[in-house]
Amino acid sequence: MTRTARAFYWMVIPALVLFAVFHTLPVLQGFYYSLTDSPGYGAHAFVGLRNYLNLLRDDRVLDAYVFTFQFAIVATVLTNAIALAIALGLNARIRLRTTLRGVFFIPNVLAILIVGYIFNYLFANALPAVAQALGITALSSNILVNPDLAWLGIVVVAVWQAVAFNVIIYLAGLQTIPGDVREAATVDGAGAWRQFRSIVFPLIAPFFTINMVLSLKNFLQVFDHIVALTNGGPGTATTSVSLLIYQGGLEGGEYAYQTANAVVYFLVIVAVSVFQLRVLQRREMSA
Amino acid sequence: MKPTALALSVVLLAGGCGAQAGDGRVELEFFQFKPEAIETFDRIIEEFERGHPHIDVTQNHMPTAENAIRTRLVKNDIPDVIALNGNGVFGELASAGVFHDFSGAPAARGVSPPIQRILDDLGVHREGEVNGLPFASNTSGVIYNKDLFRQHGVEPPRTWTELRAAAETFRSAGVDPFYLTPADAWTTLPAFNALAANLPPPDFFDRREAGRVTFAQAYPPVVSKLGELFRYGQRDRLSRGYDDGNQAFAQGKAAMYLQGSFALPAIKQFEPDFELGTFALPATDDPEATRLVSGVDVALTMGREPEHPEESMAFISYLMRPEVMEAYAEEQLAVPPTEGGTSTDPALAGVMPYFERGLLTGYADHRIPLTIQLEQHLQQYVIDGDQDAFLRTLDAEWDKVAARRS
Repeated sequence: MTRTARAFYWMVIPALVLFAVFHTLPVLQGFYYSLTDSPGYGAHAFVGLRNYLNLLRDDRVLDAYVFTFQFAIVATVLTNAIALAIALGLNARIRLRTTLRGVFFIPNVLAILIVGYIFNYLFANALPAVAQALGITALSSNILVNPDLAWLGIVVVAVWQAVAFNVIIYLAGLQTIPGDVREAATVDGAGAWRQFRSIVFPLIAPFFTINMVLSLKNFLQVFDHIVALTNGGPGTATTSVSLLIYQGGLEGGEYAYQTANAVVYFLVIVAVSVFQLRVLQRREMSA
Repeated sequence: MKPTALALSVVLLAGGCGAQAGDGRVELEFFQFKPEAIETFDRIIEEFERGHPHIDVTQNHMPTAENAIRTRLVKNDIPDVIALNGNGVFGELASAGVFHDFSGAPAARGVSPPIQRILDDLGVHREGEVNGLPFASNTSGVIYNKDLFRQHGVEPPRTWTELRAAAETFRSAGVDPFYLTPADAWTTLPAFNALAANLPPPDFFDRREAGRVTFAQAYPPVVSKLGELFRYGQRDRLSRGYDDGNQAFAQGKAAMYLQGSFALPAIKQFEPDFELGTFALPATDDPEATRLVSGVDVALTMGREPEHPEESMAFISYLMRPEVMEAYAEEQLAVPPTEGGTSTDPALAGVMPYFERGLLTGYADHRIPLTIQLEQHLQQYVIDGDQDAFLRTLDAEWDKVAARRS
């Protein structure tokens, strides 16, 4: 083995050790606990796959999955559409471009919980006041206490916060498009929409893939937003899978049962991400 | 490079462990859950340390203390002395066998037996064990604004009909009868508990556990009366939470507040310019049948195998002295759990007869497994008013949890 190769190993090992100790080991431990009846402390017994069988019979778990997927799909589509539009604008030759890029990035550096509590206040007080003044009855009471509308409040906050990061990725993608390609298209007489559809979008397709996969994965794990806005309510209308795992496992004393739920959810997210990558990468190549 | 990486992981791993005092003094960590009692406990600790110079007690308060204690237990890092609310969480922890057995400990002697029973009923590790000591009792019912009652000529109601008449009087005078805060789902519980303690048969939960009765059979009166109470709330009730409620009630915005005595210090922080009173929520038309909901507000305990057994016990014994409990109760508007202990606070005068006559009952929600999330379903019910759906959910969740735990 040459000296250079060895140096590379030493650069990787610390990270590998930390990852194994703080990530892989706890995951394996969690998997073990999911096969027991442990409340998280004290004595426990091995129960085999009983927790997993009970999951299938628990309609609350199913409700949480349905809610989370609905939320994640809507939020992913909105986030990417809005982020792409903003990125195109910020990439064009406009005044105050650098300042605006900074402004649009601000939501990303704010803590979700703080943003959530501020929006909670807005939804509870400011929005109803505005809606009442304008005579919009649908919005004249706090939407977060309406079981049918509360999820929209969470979508608004989640999208508002997530757009910032996606804009950065799209901007990076747009910078990679060589100027002469677009010039050539302009010379050939392609309009703005045609250029976007046939040149810009295909060229930033890898960035689109990354953004779609990361957004969906992040939104599937939605937690902080909900804690700050509704805490899963009204009733259980906005209980996401992560929140259910936390509430049932840590607050409700069913640690092992909800750990089984977490293991299943982990596999679901991996499966969704792999599927998404495959589909989108195939599209990238054909594009 | 390798030693560095190892050293780094060792440092990171060791970071969580506690330190020991070097000079023969023993450091005790006192973990307590009540933010409004931090100063009171500081004073108690100061006096204790004066008498025990070799013991150093550090008070540790955390928001969401119940989750904090659970994560500490998962790590097997148990505080030396623990003060927790005597609720369902306490019962689940005690049943899991993480707390000390105080049966026979001298510190347990001063406690009134019915109050000790309320705590033991939440759950103990083995039959006959005592896994916690009641340090302060609370009551739950109705807090009222004495000035508004006087202005509108209303007496504290003793029957359900009188309560409804009082609410009507206030409503027609343009005063909100109740200030309600269901945006914090748990604030629906005090009213639920008062009704659940008085309307269904007393052995309901034993029979529910045996599968001989359902919520749908025994709970319709509880649920419909709860719905009725909530219709007498202020207009923006659905978006108001506990903190809003304490402030608004202190500003005289409603005549009654469906809360436990633990809300009194919080209301007083906002310096109301009227006198506060309390009465037991009358669920029926027979005043003699009303039982007051009372629970253990602060329960003291320590780990099953404590690191400093003598010192921890010394601190607990000190806290359990009648004069310390009484002083605490006076400051925190609680009731001392001593035999014949009463509160002299005028705000609690209305419920003292129930303590004197022993007409007490525990919190019904503590009998319902936490994972059912009763309060979330109650919140849903007070929003949509769908009584059948609420009872159906409660029964279905109960059966699922029972099947999982069998």
